Amino acid sequence: MVREVFNRLIGMLTVMILVMTIVFVIVRVTPGDPAAVMLGPEATAQDVKALRERLGLEGPLIVQFGSYLLGIVKGDLGQSIFLGQSVGTALLQRAEPTFFLTIFSLLIAMVIALPVGIASAYWRGSLFDQTMTTLAMLAASVPSFWLGLLLIQFFAVNMGWFPASGYGGPDTTLMERLQHLVLPAVTLGVVSSALIMRFTRASMLDVLNDDYVRTARSKGMTEWRVVLKHALKNALIPILTVIGLTAALLISGAIVTETVFGLPGVGNLIVSAVLRRDYPVIQGSLLVVAGLYVLVNFLIDMLYLLVDPRVRY
Amino acid sequence: MSRMKLAFLLSAAVLSLAAPTNAQERGGTITVATIGEPPTLDPMTSTADLVGIITQHMFETLYTFDANWAATPLLAAELPEISDDGLVYTIRLREGVTFHDGTDMRADDAVASLERWMKIATRGKQTAERIASVEAADDLTVRITLTEPFAPLVSLLSLNNSAAIILPSEIAGEAEIKEPIGTGPYRMKERRPDQYIDLVRFEDYSSREGEPDGYGGARMQYADEIVFTPVPDPNTRVEGAVAGQYHYIDSIPVESYQRIADGRTEPVMLAPFGWPVFVMNTKEGINADIKVRKAIQAALAPHDMLLAAFGTEEFFKADGAMYPDGYVWHTEAGTEPYKPNGDTEGAKALLAESGYDGSPLRILTSRQYEFHYTMAQVAAEYLKAAGFDVKLDVVEWATLTQRRTDPALWDIYITHSPFLPEPSLTGIMSDSSPGWWVSDTKHKVLQAFNSESDPQKRAELWADVQKAIYDEVPAYKVGNFNAVAAQAPSLKGMHPAPWPYFWNAWLEE
Repeated sequence: MVREVFNRLIGMLTVMILVMTIVFVIVRVTPGDPAAVMLGPEATAQDVKALRERLGLEGPLIVQFGSYLLGIVKGDLGQSIFLGQSVGTALLQRAEPTFFLTIFSLLIAMVIALPVGIASAYWRGSLFDQTMTTLAMLAASVPSFWLGLLLIQFFAVNMGWFPASGYGGPDTTLMERLQHLVLPAVTLGVVSSALIMRFTRASMLDVLNDDYVRTARSKGMTEWRVVLKHALKNALIPILTVIGLTAALLISGAIVTETVFGLPGVGNLIVSAVLRRDYPVIQGSLLVVAGLYVLVNFLIDMLYLLVDPRVRY
Repeated sequence: MSRMKLAFLLSAAVLSLAAPTNAQERGGTITVATIGEPPTLDPMTSTADLVGIITQHMFETLYTFDANWAATPLLAAELPEISDDGLVYTIRLREGVTFHDGTDMRADDAVASLERWMKIATRGKQTAERIASVEAADDLTVRITLTEPFAPLVSLLSLNNSAAIILPSEIAGEAEIKEPIGTGPYRMKERRPDQYIDLVRFEDYSSREGEPDGYGGARMQYADEIVFTPVPDPNTRVEGAVAGQYHYIDSIPVESYQRIADGRTEPVMLAPFGWPVFVMNTKEGINADIKVRKAIQAALAPHDMLLAAFGTEEFFKADGAMYPDGYVWHTEAGTEPYKPNGDTEGAKALLAESGYDGSPLRILTSRQYEFHYTMAQVAAEYLKAAGFDVKLDVVEWATLTQRRTDPALWDIYITHSPFLPEPSLTGIMSDSSPGWWVSDTKHKVLQAFNSESDPQKRAELWADVQKAIYDEVPAYKVGNFNAVAAQAPSLKGMHPAPWPYFWNAWLEE
């Protein structure tokens, strides 16, 4: 077990170093210039050059990379070019909406997907199964921006129940801010539920005809006990994987949904940083997101070890 | 009815008639949806409209523009005293103006701020070439000495982007503004990037006397706070407007006009707002040849381009004059080559005359502003019909702003501009602006225009500049277009403006 954990940690570190290097290089070879964006449409080439010098973007790339790495080692992700704050602070400020959005949409997705997936597998081929499978395909095919705009139109514009966009102004309470998350969470929850439901159904189908399920039934156990205790437990690994990956994707920022709803989350931060060429924010946030992604995967792998002691890495 | 009762009712009636003039209410928070997070809160360093819209509430300039777009004093006590030779501008400052940090504004602050402006602002640097010195004549008087007469100076000191804002001298000495300390009617309360910028009334604000007059005159500070919320997605801004989530929503796609009108806010049209422009690379490539530029001028059909971009004629006008009717600068001089429906045959003849070798005409554009891209598509077809091989180079805005600085990478780039109150502020007037229009004719007509201080004569001289633009085609003005915003019925006191301001607006519940 200790060796498995150690191997995974080495792998994680390698991934992080690769991410740092690749992001640094890609960001710099991409056309576009933060200085030109900041100075506006009528700036001259000389103005742009002078600002680039002030921002430390004119030195050799290797020197810039060295100082970036040094900062990382010291725990400093750098200073945003545009936001007037450090990358760490920018990420922390955006953590709240992204965190709650992830939790709520995952909950919505699981509440829809797990019972429906299990029931669809149990009543395989029935009208219920066919209807749910069709609905899941529909949910998976719906673009989240379209569903988001539809929800805004109905619940914000027509009914006036929820705000159309944003995350509240100054002096808003946590409850008021959470109200802004209802529509985006439903959007993401519905879209994510399709994938989880289909994995749950497929995974349950794999185990429902296994010998140990038949044995459990022959022992006279109730059907719900057979399905939930024996079948589901063995079907859990692929379901956990897909839930974990969905969670990791949501943590890294549901970019489209955050943009449609104007939510100041991590996804929005990354998109606006890319559009503005805010190099330190792109590098820092992608590093943190990659770190979270790697961490979630690591935790899922560790969970496998607990769920199924036969698993080895 | 008793006499007392009659008198009371009459008084009440008179009072109720008078009520609208006293209807302005103090208090409340005005919420504004903007097109995004500003790239900086230092309006000296940026020419972006969004920066000017937000920061004009915190920072002030020596002059500004009145409702007729004439320069009017703001922090200055009155318009400058100009020496007979046009070289010395004596500017007296208002007394009793305080910064947000509580210190008094003095001439030293203005001198340090103007020096910073000349050092870091795009427009300031261009002006600096003509400035011999800036000095404090006394505690409340600044003296600017020029090397040659330069009439646009006061307009340059009035603009709110690349702006000559007045800062406390110790802040003006720094390259970067860490705290936004100005003299404006609102001061910074809190900024949460990408979420909101919250401005609160500056209680010690010293307003000018009299009535509000455009950006000038009295600044009333009715609202307690103004909150700017970035909503970068245009569809989300439209939905926010229809749902009535904000008091003011900036920059709405024109095709949503009717949808806004049917919702909880009202559409506001600023007509005309600005002009799309195809800037020609006169330095390198096929457009360095004036004959090719003339062929492009003949080939383009601005009416169709504008129709594709803005949908109906309610939102645009095919107009060749650099300034629309109603502006003091409006003239039709030299606009004969502007053909609303294009002249394909004429363009073919001009192109043949130029000896065009079939090299691709590279049009650099972006979808940041969808109308740029739509116009580029229509223009490409008309140019192909005239015999050009056209290559559309569609990049996102950040890439465009970088690529246009390299003359080897493009032949035309597309942008737009509001109708600036002073024509010489237009990009192509600067030799170093991308496009790099430099010619003897340009220098001659511009020199005459910039040296003349009499407004009447300047308007006449502008006709020569416009004629030079049409003769040498450094840029192609497509036409005029309108801008649409949305406003809640409860928001009062707003006047359509290219850079909307809220110090004279109030909320009526």
